[in-house]
Amino acid sequence: MGNSILNIGVSGLQTAQAQLLTTSHNISNASTPGYNRQQAIASTNIPDLRGNGFIGQGVQVSTVQRVFSQFLFTQALQTQTQSSQLDSYYNEIKQLDNLLADTSSGLTPALHAFFNAVQDVATNPASVPSRQAMLSNAEALTGRFQSMDQRFNEVRDGVNSQLTSTVDEINSLAQQIGRMNLNIQTVEGSSGGQPANDLRDQRDALVRDLGKLANVSVVRQDNGHHNVFIGNGQALVVGSETMALKTVPSREDPQRLTVAMDLGNKTVLIPEHQLQGGSMGGLIAFRNETLDQAQNEFGLLALGLAKTFNDQHRLGQDLSGVLGGDFFKVPEPGILSAHDNAPASSVTAAISDVSKLTASDYRLDYDSTNFTLTRLADKNSVTAPTTGLPLTLDGLSITSSNMLAGEHFVIQPTRQAAKNIEVAISDTAKIAAAAPIRTEAATGNTGTGKISAGKVDTLDANLQQPVTLTFTSSGQFNIVGTGAAATGLTYTSGDDISFNGLTVQISGEPAAGDTFKIEANTSGVADNRNALLLAGLQTKNTLLNDTASLQSGYARLVSQIGNKTRELEVMNTAQANLLAQTDQSLQSLSGVNLEEEAANLLRYQQAFQASSKVIEVSNSLFDTLLRI
Amino acid sequence: MRVSTNTLFDQGTKSMLQQQNSLFKLQQQISTGKRIMTPSDDPIGAARAHELTQAASLNTQYAENRQRAGDSLKLVESTLGGVTNLIQNVQSLAVAAGNPVLSDSDRSNMATELRGRFEELLGLANATDDEGNYLFSGFQGKTQPFVQVAGSVEYKGDQGQRLAQVSASRQLPVSETGLAIFEQIRNGNGTFVTAATNTNTGSGVINAGSISDAASLTENNYEISFTVASGITTFKVANVATNAELTGSYNSGEAISFEGLQFAIKGAPADGDKFTVQPSRHENLFATINNFITALETPATGSTGNAKLTNSMNTALQNLDHALTNVLGTRAAAGARLQEIDSLQQAGEDTAVQYQQSLSRLQDLDFAQAISDLTRQQALLEAAQQSFIRISGLSLFNRI
Repeated sequence: MGNSILNIGVSGLQTAQAQLLTTSHNISNASTPGYNRQQAIASTNIPDLRGNGFIGQGVQVSTVQRVFSQFLFTQALQTQTQSSQLDSYYNEIKQLDNLLADTSSGLTPALHAFFNAVQDVATNPASVPSRQAMLSNAEALTGRFQSMDQRFNEVRDGVNSQLTSTVDEINSLAQQIGRMNLNIQTVEGSSGGQPANDLRDQRDALVRDLGKLANVSVVRQDNGHHNVFIGNGQALVVGSETMALKTVPSREDPQRLTVAMDLGNKTVLIPEHQLQGGSMGGLIAFRNETLDQAQNEFGLLALGLAKTFNDQHRLGQDLSGVLGGDFFKVPEPGILSAHDNAPASSVTAAISDVSKLTASDYRLDYDSTNFTLTRLADKNSVTAPTTGLPLTLDGLSITSSNMLAGEHFVIQPTRQAAKNIEVAISDTAKIAAAAPIRTEAATGNTGTGKISAGKVDTLDANLQQPVTLTFTSSGQFNIVGTGAAATGLTYTSGDDISFNGLTVQISGEPAAGDTFKIEANTSGVADNRNALLLAGLQTKNTLLNDTASLQSGYARLVSQIGNKTRELEVMNTAQANLLAQTDQSLQSLSGVNLEEEAANLLRYQQAFQASSKVIEVSNSLFDTLLRI
Repeated sequence: MRVSTNTLFDQGTKSMLQQQNSLFKLQQQISTGKRIMTPSDDPIGAARAHELTQAASLNTQYAENRQRAGDSLKLVESTLGGVTNLIQNVQSLAVAAGNPVLSDSDRSNMATELRGRFEELLGLANATDDEGNYLFSGFQGKTQPFVQVAGSVEYKGDQGQRLAQVSASRQLPVSETGLAIFEQIRNGNGTFVTAATNTNTGSGVINAGSISDAASLTENNYEISFTVASGITTFKVANVATNAELTGSYNSGEAISFEGLQFAIKGAPADGDKFTVQPSRHENLFATINNFITALETPATGSTGNAKLTNSMNTALQNLDHALTNVLGTRAAAGARLQEIDSLQQAGEDTAVQYQQSLSRLQDLDFAQAISDLTRQQALLEAAQQSFIRISGLSLFNRI
């Protein structure tokens, strides 16, 4: 009997010790990341059946288990993935938000300075200093376009390098999870099915870390393995085997890195829309939804400025009496040949109407009978047969194409525009401030008819040909001159009279025999008519189907980025709060509470002391028996 | 609910970090004085600020344009002031030259003085601005507008008028062409020109005439011829184109009306003397002065010579009068534009203040609000810190 009491005392002692050990383990790991508190589960020993019933045989620790809820963990993993995505998206877009931040930096001041210089030229058309100031400010403006575009590209490069490092980190985590699978299987196998609590904690922490980077799903196997899948079910970890991800240049755009499975002898691209969640998803979403759009819109401004300014500039006449040339070098559309196109395949494209152009990219497909040009933003498309070029959508014209069936090209009319805009002229005399024509009423006219200064509409070959309007009576006139000849036209005061690409109005009461002349504006160095029209482009709605001016286009971009940043800030905060709550629930169940552990420490200490007492009692009982 | 020790610390730190972030943002706003630090702070406000900045910058540029336009117009105005004085000067010479007491040599002296005036006028008409561009040559700023060719002055400029953008919606003409100022001057009375034929031998002097019936005017040439037979002088007015005629006996100074024209001839025309009436044409100021000089340099003797001189002086005075009216009209237009610039300037300054206010409302910080927010935020952070210290200091381990 004494032996039995001793045994029971010893079992209590051992149990209390194990519990004290577990409690100490909890206390010392209170701040270990990913640690779940552990409990030593005590159970009674198999009782001894005597004639008068079962006599208890003390206690034993049946297992040490961690307090863990798979449901809460999965929930936290998902919340973590979404939160990381929003966080990385927010961090990226914040850079653009800062780039566009101030009215005193950014594009606005350079744009104003340039157009103010144009106004100065309009005021002093023959002044060389004014003209020089206009050229210098144009250089400053294109420089600002380029440097801001450079920032866009730096952000883009940042996305690429972050994607690469994220993929490296994912691969490393996947390998560690694979090794952990193997370890857990080995350890648990040799321990007779007791759970390897600390190893499992570590593996869960690794999975949680992986969830910060990408959206992963975990499938638990009976043998204790956790298999991890990424994207649309591509296996990343199966048992102890791991697959590697790698970054590869996108098929359409070699400067754009995207994610693929590395299968050793070949790589399989993971479609970007499947890579949602985690910081990788945030980076990809930022690039696809915001960065491309923002850089394209910025490029559209550069392209719009270059195109519209040039178009007006070409309708003018420079200081040496020659028709104006290009003021800006207009950026060409970027044409990207798909990765698997034949090397000889090529496409040429041109901007036919910049006012209709959108900030989208376009894609040209060919199926051996038809070309299809698709606006990538909303998948709207137009089709033309093989001989039907040029094919035009939104002011973008495909002028010629040499491609095989099944091939495709991506055309980015605006992406590189801000980078490639340049000032085309360096000679102040080449600024076309004057109009190429002038009008005059013959000095011998007896009527009161007056002719307007004339407006150039298009570059007609006969624009500068001398033309005479002769009134045969007060209500009728003839037009004589190269390119324009008409007789017996009815005169209405103030009506537009158009020919040879120009428009004039005659008002008042011309008398019979009165003549009006339109001729080349020879040595018209003090003429500022074209400069006034150029200056007017600042506020004219020339972009996005004539709904936006350069400034309002820029303001639109600022407000879009601002709104999106704001939206993400709010969503990010909300998601972070949700994550904090989920983590709290998780911690509420599995986290270590030091008060609790302190209480347990006291409890198990007392249990230890009590069991010691039992041994003492057993000893004194034995002594008593010996003394008999 | 069970709270883990980690949660206790994490939550405490997190809330303090948030408070600190708000404090930092407020501090940034206060130190820059701006409410919008990045577009995300107020996307619509930020976009609006960009557009307002453009409007404000344009407004400033328009003010500068107005300044320049004003300078140009003042230059035109003062040059035309010189022309006005000159014409008035010539007019008084013309009046003085009509004095029959003057001898040929007196008139010749006057002609010499007039030649000086002529050169002065040519100088004014070819005036340049501070950058050496001709004021009155239209678009051809580097082309001398008035050039002497074979005794007469020709206009080499064009009819271009430069405009300045003086407000968002107003383009104001800031230059005048030499053609309008010096060339397009109606001669005669503005409708028709009366003249004596050079070969007249009598002392008939014709006045400028007037319109008696505008509806009957024909714009044809007329010839008035005199016949003196047996002491009775008769006149015949003939429409050269239609041969319509009016004849009558001549009484000196009596008005003659025909087909809407009305004029009077004084003195004693000789037999065969002729006068003409032609539709008014443009005659440039230089030609007027030149003709005047020629008339003065032509010796005038006797009543015939005096009549010729008087006819020439009349013509010169009429034309000078038109020239003066023309120049004054142009000056008045320039003056009106200067006035418009002044009122636009006023409006522009008001607008600038409005833009400034709108921009300030959009971008600038409400300091009272911000300081009060700062104080509140500070109190909140201090409270969070103190409560955290209290709670984290409570531990059972302190008592075991």
